[in-house]
Amino acid sequence: MDIQYVRLEEKLPPKEYKSDLEPTWCPGCGDFGVVTALTRAFSEEKLDPTALSLVSGIGCSSRLPLWMNAFGLHSCHGRAIPAAVGVRLAKPEIPTIVTAGDGDLFSIGMEHFPHAARKNFDMVVISMDNRMYALTKNQVSPTSRTGYKGSLTPYGNLDNPFNVLEFSIACGATFVAQTYAGNPKHMTEIIEAAIEHKGFAFINILSPCPTYNKIDTFKFYKGRLIDINKELGHDPSDKNKAMELASHALDSDWDPNAKVPIGIFYKTEDVPTFEEKVEALKEKYKPENPETVWDEILAQYKL
Amino acid sequence: MASFDLTVKYAGEGGEGVISSGDFTMRAAARMGYEVVTFKSFPAEIKGGYALSQVRMSDEKILSQGDGFDVLVAFNGEAYEVNKPLLREGTVLIWDGPEGGDFEPEFEELEKMGVILYAVPMSQLAKKEVGAYITKNVIAVASTFEILGMPIEYLKEEIVNKFSKKGQDVIDLNFKAIEVAQKYVRENIKKIDPYKVPGPLPKKDVIIVEGNEAIALGAAVAGCKVYAAYPITPATTIGNYLAPIILKTGGYVYQAEDEISSMAIVIGASFAGVKAMTATSGPGISLMQELIGLASMTETPCVVVDVQRGGPSTGMPTKHDQADLFAAALGGHGDDQRIVIAPTNVEENFYLTIEAFNLSERYQVPVLLLTDASLSLRAEAIPTPNIKEIQSKLIERPVIRKGDVSPEEIEHIFRYQITDTGISPFFVPGESPKPYTATGLEHGENSYPRTTPKERTEMMDKRFRKMKNIEDENPHLVEWDLGDLREGEKADIAVITWGLTASIAKEAIQRLRNKGIKVAALYPKLLYPLPSKAIEKVASMADIVLVPEANYLGHLARFIRMFSNVPPEKIVQYNIYRGEPFIPKEIEEKVEELLGKKVEA
Repeated sequence: MDIQYVRLEEKLPPKEYKSDLEPTWCPGCGDFGVVTALTRAFSEEKLDPTALSLVSGIGCSSRLPLWMNAFGLHSCHGRAIPAAVGVRLAKPEIPTIVTAGDGDLFSIGMEHFPHAARKNFDMVVISMDNRMYALTKNQVSPTSRTGYKGSLTPYGNLDNPFNVLEFSIACGATFVAQTYAGNPKHMTEIIEAAIEHKGFAFINILSPCPTYNKIDTFKFYKGRLIDINKELGHDPSDKNKAMELASHALDSDWDPNAKVPIGIFYKTEDVPTFEEKVEALKEKYKPENPETVWDEILAQYKL
Repeated sequence: MASFDLTVKYAGEGGEGVISSGDFTMRAAARMGYEVVTFKSFPAEIKGGYALSQVRMSDEKILSQGDGFDVLVAFNGEAYEVNKPLLREGTVLIWDGPEGGDFEPEFEELEKMGVILYAVPMSQLAKKEVGAYITKNVIAVASTFEILGMPIEYLKEEIVNKFSKKGQDVIDLNFKAIEVAQKYVRENIKKIDPYKVPGPLPKKDVIIVEGNEAIALGAAVAGCKVYAAYPITPATTIGNYLAPIILKTGGYVYQAEDEISSMAIVIGASFAGVKAMTATSGPGISLMQELIGLASMTETPCVVVDVQRGGPSTGMPTKHDQADLFAAALGGHGDDQRIVIAPTNVEENFYLTIEAFNLSERYQVPVLLLTDASLSLRAEAIPTPNIKEIQSKLIERPVIRKGDVSPEEIEHIFRYQITDTGISPFFVPGESPKPYTATGLEHGENSYPRTTPKERTEMMDKRFRKMKNIEDENPHLVEWDLGDLREGEKADIAVITWGLTASIAKEAIQRLRNKGIKVAALYPKLLYPLPSKAIEKVASMADIVLVPEANYLGHLARFIRMFSNVPPEKIVQYNIYRGEPFIPKEIEEKVEELLGKKVEA
């Protein structure tokens, strides 16, 4: 079953994807860049604001759907992915983008990510990764560095940071990429590629919090990024290499000479999407005559 | 009064075929044109533990599982011991003996009581004559059929239906068991009991469904397109039954990773414009509370079935309880809007599931349907529903579609528009011309987040306006049972109850009326918002208002105190919480006790 997204005939200007609301984020927040990149990618992909859904949970970044001109579902903390699964099951022709934060996806909402990934739902899941909780005023998140000082861990984070890139490949995500809020062009390209990808596409966007996180800053990332596809010639179809590269994604936390990798780590089109499999089942069991379907169903309950 | 009313109870160890024995008997009785109601209970474990399956059959509509049984088929010693206190004069006991079983009844004591004993060596016949112990239950059923004069060919047909996929060998083996049982009964048992199933009645146009099956059918008829759920006893079977049906009606049953995701999926699907439902029990309803609040805040229609089981915590997963009313109505944080309805029998499971969808589409609120473990398993033969007629009356949310309105008009239409009824236009991705973001944050008409005191108050008022007239707009969700009384006339007692307990109370009330007691009864199917006008009316007819419920706290009784003007001193709670439903006799005796006391006073 080939499911096609609803698309416009002509491109809309990127600003048409913005709502009248101004983001309530702090000046200098990395998430502004994500909004810009999303509007550009939607424009390039000719998505229809009236047939597009942005689904989020709770947190600074999860407010994003409110700033956009598209259908949005700003749900509960951690529940963006299952809410998006609901949209996918109901209307597979509506492109579905999850816009979430690292705490929302990988702490409170952690039980959902592996299942949506392994089932290969055709959705784009964006983590705006500032490596901490910002809306609740600075606590550690699963991606925070060891030693990071949050309000509940004033002595410094005891945990090791969670490598979401390795994790998402291991979960069975069929598209895994990392990009950077300070590079709108790269972000736009990656988001476009993720929308075009049929299947579960995870994008980790390094998106600094200028208010609380004084370590993982724009300044920190400057000069440290390396494009694994263009500069290292990484072929995203090579899963082993993708895992190897992903395993070094956090090296820069302790190694001043290590680079932060951006680009498409892994991508395969060989896995059918969950939606395609459901549509195939519906097609297989579709009644020959819809007029008599209930007579047939009720017959099973008669004596 | 019914001229024929017989209850047969099979009891033994779980996994021995006790439940299918009841099913064979129930289906055969229904084939003969009789009304049937089953009552089953088994442990949470797959094998072992005490299981029972009881079949009540009658030539008239059956309201409850009855007070007891006329015939007990005891598969083992435990079944005998558990049921021994319930044996009375005239009860037939068919037991696994005289040899080969694991127990012997106290012959002298029982015979003195007038219990009629028939020994059928089920285990031994199965092992030695048939050569397969697994056929023990078929021997028990066939012997019972033979003793009660039920046509054995109906049992054979059921065997063929049940085992046709397993092959002719299995069918032949079971047919052999039937022959062995028939031969044994004819040669060894002299019938001295009065029980006999009369000949077949005219064939009725009925379907046989269990409680959870009726819910699954109702959901598919109502147009549910996404059903998401996580396995939990006793709600799981709703999805089992629905999975094959919904594919034929264009939907899908999705097994989610937990109850929280089930509820989020339902909201996502409904946000995207299709009807969606989940079903859960016990701990599941606790897990879903936050998201039910989201459905309420975003005004997203959805249906949540809660098959109540014994709580709190894991409690008693397979047992009857009615203690989720507070959680269903008031379990969320903040002031949210929900509708709670509860069916009283299997037929209502079907129609109220459809009603749940209609209410959720009409008022754009989550609707919780409260059933229970006992009702989920109860089978009834119900009149075949007229699907076309039902579907022609389904209620759909007011979606604004592209082309419905001009670009100028749409500027003034908002997803959360403040209206007199509180009900706003609905926007759907892919169908409506104007996007919006559904948010759990407090918001204005256009869905933008708002926290000013004025806007907050306006939106709370708007959402609660939807709840104001639900009782008046849905009088069919309250069932009056006044007997010969007219509304407002003086009664000896008023009875208000809900769920399965209502169907049991109804039988008790019929008996009380036969004794000349004037009972005014009300069975609200709508529990929240509480139909306080009807409740106040029925309560005004008597000095005592009895509220029987299978819970400790008295959820409905306390709701009546909380949400109506019924004088609290009139309300008498009657609560059981043993994991089994009431029997009619208990309610009958409670009323007599209350009225007796009153006379004495």
